[in-house]
Amino acid sequence: MSSSTIQVTDSSDLSGQSTSRLVLQMARRDIATLFRTPWIIISRSLAFIIQLFVFAYLISGLVVKFPGFFPYYAVGSVVSVVASISFIIGYDIFEEAEEGLLDYLLTLPIPRREFIIGRALGGAVRAMIYTIPMFAIVAVLENFSNPLSLIAAILDLFLLAFGVTGLSITVAVSVRSANRFDVVLALLELAVSRASTALYPLAFMPSYVAALAPFSPVTFAADSTRAALSGSSLDILGLAGLLAFVAIFLGLGATFYFRRLEGGVYA
Amino acid sequence: MSSVHLIPRVIERDIKILFSDTFLIGIMFANFCIDLFVTAATFGNLIGSSYFLRIAPGSNLITAMVAAFQSGRDIWREKYIKDLASYLLTLPIPRKVFALSRITGGVARSVIATFPGTLVISYLYGILFSPRLVEAFVIVAVFSLGIVGLSIAVSAFASTIEVFATVRSAIQLYLSFLSTIFYDVSLFPVIVQPIVQTNPMTWAMQAFRALQSQGSTLYPISVLVGPSLAFALLGAVCYLWYTRL
Repeated sequence: MSSSTIQVTDSSDLSGQSTSRLVLQMARRDIATLFRTPWIIISRSLAFIIQLFVFAYLISGLVVKFPGFFPYYAVGSVVSVVASISFIIGYDIFEEAEEGLLDYLLTLPIPRREFIIGRALGGAVRAMIYTIPMFAIVAVLENFSNPLSLIAAILDLFLLAFGVTGLSITVAVSVRSANRFDVVLALLELAVSRASTALYPLAFMPSYVAALAPFSPVTFAADSTRAALSGSSLDILGLAGLLAFVAIFLGLGATFYFRRLEGGVYA
Repeated sequence: MSSVHLIPRVIERDIKILFSDTFLIGIMFANFCIDLFVTAATFGNLIGSSYFLRIAPGSNLITAMVAAFQSGRDIWREKYIKDLASYLLTLPIPRKVFALSRITGGVARSVIATFPGTLVISYLYGILFSPRLVEAFVIVAVFSLGIVGLSIAVSAFASTIEVFATVRSAIQLYLSFLSTIFYDVSLFPVIVQPIVQTNPMTWAMQAFRALQSQGSTLYPISVLVGPSLAFALLGAVCYLWYTRL
């Protein structure tokens, strides 16, 4: 999974490279890594298709208390997929550390800050690239055609992807055991998606879930995306929540990653 | 020492591997709780209160499926990460017995991992203090037998963890969404119905629902035994093939 390398630049040329270029170079590597492992894309695409065209289609016939459950679920399933794919960067980082590839990456003439921001950006961008076809399927199915609404919805999804990437990096550099890491990340993914309004409305959740769900980043993204696509209004609360989530977890992920890279010492 | 006496040793080893990380068992129970008390409870509110009880055993069987696949993953790790396969072959136990013991060990692990979940479902179905509780564990064990077999078969052929995870996801999708966990078989298009009716999850769910309605579980369990034994046999054959080196 993490067998890719990036082109090594002579350190004398480093001064000539702008920060943004180095960040993009790191991000490009992560994007290439995902597309070199088609298995993940195949399994997640299959899951999306079955969830939408089998599960959502059949269950919406049973849901009589909430008309229009299928369109509601369709948008939410795209939001869930974005969260799910964004978590994958954590697996990559964990594997790199286990296989010793991280040591090689640290020898590259890229400052740590650009390295970390690049990883987070790469994780978010590849989640978006991967999700766009699914988003397009839902947009066609539900007749979402307003370009401004579509752009606003994509921005919401990108913010979610960026924040989840930070969360995933935080977990990847905090958990040591491989088995434990797999299950913790899977649980976290399940918790943030299920205890949110992505797949079902808040009004129908049990009270103990309804009390927590409004604070889930997936809820912020799902509500904001639905508001954008329906063209009703701009969900300021959702957007603010998403921005706060990105700031917190990107910062936290960067801090933990930085500490891991420097052997527990802040540089 | 006869080879039969070595079977409990192999099973014990597999159970010890499970308990080497008790945190994992806790997380699997947390997964079960999210499935049951978040997703199933919400769909219960959306569709009707009886729907919650109808789909509740699905949460436990999904946990059993995850635990069963963990056995296959451990075997994969022994082969590719820990490089233990050669050492295990030097043990004084016939390979056929060893393969069957690993499968039995996997079933035991799955039953242990779902123990609290099975108790929760039995409580919801009002059979917690009834002899029928044993039937609930039998259903989980027979269902797990097939999934452990499948996971071992996948581990024998998957050269990378990504391939293993992808095949696992595909099997989990088939077991979860093309079964009667969420909806009746009659809701599926006619062409898909045979796939749903041959799904082991369908029959495990039917058996659990028979417990709820105080009916007999004999028929659904006897149907479930068929695919479970077939998958277990497949797992054993694949394991033997892979240990042939």
